[in-house]
This record gives sequence, structure tokens and C-alpha cells, in this order.
Amino acid sequence: MAGIGLRLPHLMEIAATCPPVEWVEIHPENFLANPHATELLLEVSRRYPVSVHTVGISIGSAEEIDLEHVNRLRRLVDAVDPVLVSGHLAWSTHGGAYLNDLLPLPYTAEALRVATDHVRQVQDALGREYLIENPSTYVGFSTSTMGEAEFLSELAARTGCRILCDVSNVHLSGHNMGYDPYEFLDRLPPGAIGELHLGGFTPEDDDASPGAELLVDTHATPIAEPVWQLYAHALRRFGAVPTIVEWDNDLPPLATLLQEASRAGAVRDQALESHHAAAR
Amino acid sequence: MLPLAELQHRVRQAVVAADDRAIAPLLVGGGDGRTRLGIHRRHYHTSLATAVIERFPATGWLAGSALVSDAAQAFVVAHPPSRPCLAEYGEEFPAFLAARVDAAGLPYLRAFADLEWQIGRLSLAVTAPALTLADLQSIEPSRLADLSLALQPDVAYVHAPWNLDELMRIYLSDRAPDRFVLRDEDVRLELRGARGGLQITRLERAVFVFREGVQRGQALADAAMAACEADSAFDAGGALSSLIADGLLTAARAPGKDGEA
Repeated sequence: MAGIGLRLPHLMEIAATCPPVEWVEIHPENFLANPHATELLLEVSRRYPVSVHTVGISIGSAEEIDLEHVNRLRRLVDAVDPVLVSGHLAWSTHGGAYLNDLLPLPYTAEALRVATDHVRQVQDALGREYLIENPSTYVGFSTSTMGEAEFLSELAARTGCRILCDVSNVHLSGHNMGYDPYEFLDRLPPGAIGELHLGGFTPEDDDASPGAELLVDTHATPIAEPVWQLYAHALRRFGAVPTIVEWDNDLPPLATLLQEASRAGAVRDQALESHHAAAR
Repeated sequence: MLPLAELQHRVRQAVVAADDRAIAPLLVGGGDGRTRLGIHRRHYHTSLATAVIERFPATGWLAGSALVSDAAQAFVVAHPPSRPCLAEYGEEFPAFLAARVDAAGLPYLRAFADLEWQIGRLSLAVTAPALTLADLQSIEPSRLADLSLALQPDVAYVHAPWNLDELMRIYLSDRAPDRFVLRDEDVRLELRGARGGLQITRLERAVFVFREGVQRGQALADAAMAACEADSAFDAGGALSSLIADGLLTAARAPGKDGEA
């Protein structure tokens, strides 16, 4: 399946026109305090498979996760009955404040224990499997004792959660942090990959390294060519995993997103066909 | 090794308060990890300030976008969100904005921004099925006085000491008159706004006191008593009938045993 991230400005259009798209993904935090949007979402959920992708469950926070938020999420999930529920390998709350970003974790034994406990709590509360997405990374910590792929793999092994592999994040993080994105994908356990994401990023000058370029995960541009190539590699390695194209800022007309999803479907078909042909 | 909680405290200081001295030695990535962490700081400030500014467009129209924008930048440092649903973020902004030195000459600003907050909140609401007179007939007359009523989620009651409803209507109509006089005037408003629709209605003082009291959870008799104090000619029976006729009533609960309609 290839689908789109469904944002509020497109919600009414999707509900009214039912365009051809295989599935859609929503951020529940846009709906939990918006009964009008939820009403429309329930209409959409009767016509399309829906995935719920959380941005507000801070599974990497040293402090407890917000169980009230999880309970609100549970009520929405029960109403929508999504095909997948996912979140991020990140943290966003500290000292009672929600920092509205997906902040980086040190990859340490303590962080792994914390994330493991929180993923288990979320899965227990929701009564279903949770998928965890690899982050877009600009900065890390000298205290890390393992790599991101190892951390994610271990988290999946300990909790039974699966991995949402954001292919654009792999490309972006590899560029920013200086590693090979293909090798990163090859280190992830293929059986644990439950979903793929694609999104656009924006190059910026890297202020601390004159002449160098930094990639910022803006979700405000079309998917870059190197990411389509990496996506094909991911499909050959992980199989026909359902994919979502995300676009959050400078939102284009719905038709543009649908074209990107359509291209994802075409890349998938071509990658899997050539992979099967090579295997024959 | 630095405990995770302490590391996250230091990152929060860097992101919210722009103080990265404590976290800097631990950062890796690029030529300078602090510059990279600055991407998160920029995202925090830009995304939240934008959310606040977009929540108060009429206030920006009235007070000037620079004043509201500067206040929003300061607000996100002083009042980070406590919950991940940004639709719930910004309720304290009107008071914060009005307390700024550069807003000192605009005494009506807080009330106007509060009015805009309520309108924005209601625009996300939906209506529930309304009770009819027949639904109330199962309640014994002797228990009516203690009845608690629930009103539609798309209604709010706002009291302002100026004719701010007229100002808001001008903003919403997108037409600027040659002249507008803001009058010292007690204005009591009922706002309804489900699914983005908006009705602003001025209420008589006693009716406002009654409906606002009912919405706050006062027992029917207490709300009616308060309304009578506002206007001795207040008609409690008529006021209850009009709540039903306006489709505002969604539940009625008598304390004690069986009374829910």
C-alpha cells in the first residue's frame, strides 16, 4: 500500500471527494482536542484504511509518559480502528513541559530500559502493537554506547514492537551524521519492519562547517531522488511494506501528494519486480 | 555516566531558554554540536510562536502583528505547552499579552483576545443531540430545583466591559469602517460556534447570569436565584423553556438516585 499523511487542510476534501489512495495516516494530536475534525476523520475511516501516527507520546522521556494522553489516544484508536499505530524514537516532554519536537536520545542502556518500559506501557494501554520510527538526526551525544540501528533492533526484540523505517530520515541522518544510509538499512532486522515513510527535506548551510550542507527534516518539499533510490533498496530488503508519503509544511494541493504516493507505488512495483526477476 | 533525566534537563534548557552551556560538552555532530542542537531550538520557537499567532489573528489585526508576534515569542519561553495537542495551547496568552509593557495603552486587549480564544475553541466543537421538554417529564417536579443541566459543547458565555462584539464583527466581515468608537459598556455575550459556524448574541443581564450559571454547573434553583438578583422580573420558567427551545440543553441530572434525562 502507498498512501499519504492526511493533514487537517485536506481532511474535508478527502471526505468529500474520496480520491483514489490506498490508505492514509493521521497525527492523533490534531484530532484529540478537535471534535469537528474527528467527526470528519470517522467518515474517512469508513472509506480508507487509516494509520495513527503519534507525535506526542514521549517514549524516550526519563519521566513517566502522560497516561492521560495515552488514554485519550486509546479512545480515538478504538473509534477509528486503525491498521497501524506508531510513534517515534525520541522524547518531547520534561518537567511537565511538552517541547513540540522530536528530541534526540543518547543510545545508552538506561535510555533503552526507559524506552522499553514505555513502549510496553503504550502497547498494554492500547491493546495493540506499536511501531517506532527512526528519527531525523542532526546531533548526537558522546555518552551513546550503541548505534541507532542496534538500539532500535534491541527495542523491537525486547518489546515485540515493530519498526517504522522512515527512509528519508535514514538518508538525512546518514548525510548529517556521516554514515552510509544503505548500510544502516542493512543492519535493521527485515522481519521487524512494519511500515515505511517518505518525506521531503530542506538543505541548509551548515553554519559550523563552512561549505557543508545540512539536511533539515521539514516535510515541505517533494521527495528527493536519492531517497527514491534508497526506498527501492529498502523495498528489496524488507519486501512490500506499506508506505506513507508525508508532507506537513507549505502544504501543496492534495493532488500533489497523491502523485507522490502514486510514484511510491510505481517505485515499489518496479523494485519488487526486478528483485523477484533477479531471484528467479 | 550522566543520568538520562539530567541530560534531558540540559537539552530542555538549551531548547527553551537558549542556555546550552551545560549540554555542549556532550554534543557530537558536525563542526559544532551546539549549532546542530540549534535546529531543535529554532523548531521549538518557530512552531509554537506560529501556533499562537495563528490562534489570535483578530488580536494581531487589532493590536498590530509586531506586538502579538513579539509577545508570542516571549510566551513560548515563559509558558511551554503542557500537553501535545496544540489546539489546547494558548489559553493564557491573552493575560500574558495584556501584561506586556507595550500593550499598556490597550486596556481592552485582554478581553478581546479572550473573546477570540473562545471563538477559536468553539469552532472545533460539534453539537450533541438536544433534550426536549418531553425528556424532562420523567423528573419529579420536586427535584427540579436541584437539577444540574449540561449545555451544548459549542456554547460559551463572555462578559466584556466594552462593545467588543462589534469590533469582532468588523474583523470577521473583513470590512474596515472609517471610524469605530469603543464604548465603555457591559456586554454579555452568548457565543455558539459548532463546526466553524459562529453566532454572537447579546443577552440581557439576568438571562446571561442564568445561562452562565447553569453552564458552570449551578443547580437550577441557584442559577435562577442569581438571575433574580440581577433582575427581579426574571422569569425562571421562561428561561428554562428558552434553553430547550434554543437547543442548548443536552443533559439534566438530579442529585441522588435515578434522575438523569
